[in-house]
Amino acid sequence: MASIPTSPTSPESPGARSARQPLRKATSRAEFEAIQREATESWRNLWGGDRMVVSVGIDSSSIAKGAVEVYNACRRELAGSGSTVRQTSGNGAMWIEPWVEIQRPGQPPIVYANIEPDDVPDLLAGRLEDRAFGVRGDEPFNGVPPLDAHPFFKHQRRILLRNHGVIDPDSIEEAIANGAYSAYLKVLFDLSGEETVAEVAASNVRGRGGAGFPAGIKWESGRKAKARPKFVVCNSHEGEPNVYKDRRLHEGDPHRILEGILIACVAVGAERGYNYVGGEYPLAIARFRKAVQDAERLGLIGKNVLGSGKDVAFRLRTGGGAYICGEGSALMYSIMGVRGQPRTKPPRSVEEGLWKRPTVANNTETLANVPDIVSNGGAWYAGIGTEKSTGTKLVTVMGPVKTMGLVEVEMGISLRTIIDEVWGGMADGYTFKGIQTGGVSAGPLKAEQLDVPLDFDSMTPFGGMLGSGGFVIFDESVDAVDFARYMTAFNRYESCSKCVPCRLGNPALVEILDRIRLGRGTRADLPLIERTSKHIIELSLCGLGQVAPAPLLGLLHTYPEDFESKLVDAPPVLPLREVLPLAGD
Amino acid sequence: MDQHAPGQIDLDVVREMVSHITYSDHQEAQELILHALQEINEHFGWVSLEAAEIVAEHLGTTANRVYGLLTFYADFRTEPRGRHFMLVCHGMACYVGGSTALVDDLAERYGVGDGDTTADGALTVQVVDGCLGVCDRAPIVKLDDAYHGQLTPEKLNDVLQRAIAARQGEERVHGIDPHIAHVS
Ligand SMILES: Cc1cc2nc3c(=O)[nH]c(=O)nc-3n(C[C@H](O)[C@H](O)[C@H](O)COP(=O)(O)O)c2cc1C
Ligand code: SF4
Ligand code: FES
Repeated sequence: MASIPTSPTSPESPGARSARQPLRKATSRAEFEAIQREATESWRNLWGGDRMVVSVGIDSSSIAKGAVEVYNACRRELAGSGSTVRQTSGNGAMWIEPWVEIQRPGQPPIVYANIEPDDVPDLLAGRLEDRAFGVRGDEPFNGVPPLDAHPFFKHQRRILLRNHGVIDPDSIEEAIANGAYSAYLKVLFDLSGEETVAEVAASNVRGRGGAGFPAGIKWESGRKAKARPKFVVCNSHEGEPNVYKDRRLHEGDPHRILEGILIACVAVGAERGYNYVGGEYPLAIARFRKAVQDAERLGLIGKNVLGSGKDVAFRLRTGGGAYICGEGSALMYSIMGVRGQPRTKPPRSVEEGLWKRPTVANNTETLANVPDIVSNGGAWYAGIGTEKSTGTKLVTVMGPVKTMGLVEVEMGISLRTIIDEVWGGMADGYTFKGIQTGGVSAGPLKAEQLDVPLDFDSMTPFGGMLGSGGFVIFDESVDAVDFARYMTAFNRYESCSKCVPCRLGNPALVEILDRIRLGRGTRADLPLIERTSKHIIELSLCGLGQVAPAPLLGLLHTYPEDFESKLVDAPPVLPLREVLPLAGD
Repeated sequence: MDQHAPGQIDLDVVREMVSHITYSDHQEAQELILHALQEINEHFGWVSLEAAEIVAEHLGTTANRVYGLLTFYADFRTEPRGRHFMLVCHGMACYVGGSTALVDDLAERYGVGDGDTTADGALTVQVVDGCLGVCDRAPIVKLDDAYHGQLTPEKLNDVLQRAIAARQGEERVHGIDPHIAHVS
């Protein structure tokens, strides 16, 4: 069985490197700055030597395609040669996986696409130059263009993803060499809590978990809250069926998330930070756990951090596969070891959250923005993107496009540019029908609506929503009734059953949709959908129920022909067995 | 998952596992209930009532509360797994790519739906509402440690037949270190 270089206990892990040079605890700012200098120097030496440096992009997506076998083949092939074989994370470009980057002495690093284990000997011997995909650098080399010239990368502005595909996510030294914890240092020593919160407020960064609430306002309430202890919770649950950005952040640059959480703790005066990660993401959890252990060993977590007089505790918690646990109050119940069911608000979490104490809860991506906001200033961040939606946004795509993956774009870019250029347009043989926005919480957009800018507010008039940035492109083979049934069934299944409109309303909608799908729906069913939806939206307790009918209503209004063409005047009389419910939900 | 005799949970192993879970106060103990259950579920593929009782006792709570969590969270099983365990991704990329046909075909051909085990104990199926993160190969399943993508019902059936016919441990296209695949 393949051994993977990511486990902290694996002998091949960068843990082995730190075993040569064990992490030592820094107890003052000066000691940490010495560690920063050493890390920067080792990073420079890594790339400045006279041996080959081979990096393999390993994340949960490339592992499924054999990246670990490729990594092991590289190690076998180069054993004893003095060359370096290292892991890095994915770079977002899923369709080129597994990829290998090779830096030969005196040359820039070149990324080679779609490498199978059997390709490795030829690849390393320089016989697979036709697979050269791009140079990691500004200039072309030997006819190979820079990575950034590819449309997939050209339109991106990578702040959060800067280190993805570059550093080894298991190495705190590589993260530090690339800037990790320098903002934390500033917050520990140079800025007051009030000043840090003011920078976040000035950046106008809005919550990336779906609702778009300004983080600065939440932090300020948290900072002012009097009750003790206080907590910060990072929401990394990501249970939606349409998005994979937060787990990639964990897999690619876990220290960035941890730094964001630690900064939030110091800024609002919280005793302890938490990160709650979906239990379905073992690699994200393993890499994040390693990051926390290393940060503890370096003295970045604990009592009197770096002699600053500030204490910061931290705990990682994992979820159990219930979508509803992404909802703020449900998530806190889940951490407290009870069933994750939302409660009525007020009180809001920042007044009464985890263990009934003031709790600042933010999405992973929101917190991952914080280190750069602190380092470069809130005004710098506010200058990126649009006036009301500042900064960049991680977006993911699903569906039949040519160049699928995770990208980071500036807010305000048009959806059409992302679809046609970044994602390369529709794959051969597929015709665009629509793009589902906002996960299971909003409706689709049609081809003629794609010039809408990507931001928090512009899609709303069309029934769309930015949500968490997960888009699903569907083609002509997808029937709107069927798709609506899929999303409504998702909400039905994931309803926590606490309140009646959601618990009984969603099954009712699924039943109506099944009737229509099976050719037994009548005209009366369309107003029935509207009425039932209204009940669910207006009477449900939490966000799940309040938006559950949105995808159905969006599809119904956008593709009425798909619904109407299946309606009949009078349903045929069938033997009972044939009208019983279908499998497949 | 370790290859234990299906249907059995060695309670001494459970006791050994929970003994490593330490806490400083009752709040922390409560935060660790889910963690303990995840460890057991990963190791054995399910959590029995007896195992839940051991967790309750170690963390100072009731078996009722622990069982209430087991039945709420989708990742936990309260019955043993079959010899093979398959996650069928039903996230949106896989849905658009045709995962419904896979789910329907499994019901028809093998008589199993979400959470079910075939009558001969060969296969347990779990339909995942989230996304397995390999959307560019949709629709995808994870059978034991290996991923299989771009499936049709026919291709999935071939994969399953090969796995069931082969002895366990063989037929792994892309193996993943169990340490990674099963960190909780
Ligand atoms: C059903 C439901 C699921 C949610 N899932 C998530 C999630 O997986 N991740 C997340 O960050 N926020 C999720 N949210 C939103 C959170 O309740 C909350 O608004 C968010 O975490 C706050 O962080 P932000 O202000 O940084 O966005 C969900 C909300 C609902 C109603
Ligand atoms: S709206 Fe649905 S998910 Fe939310 S509390 Fe009510 S039943 Fe639970
Ligand atoms: S939706 Fe199935 S792998 Fe992403």
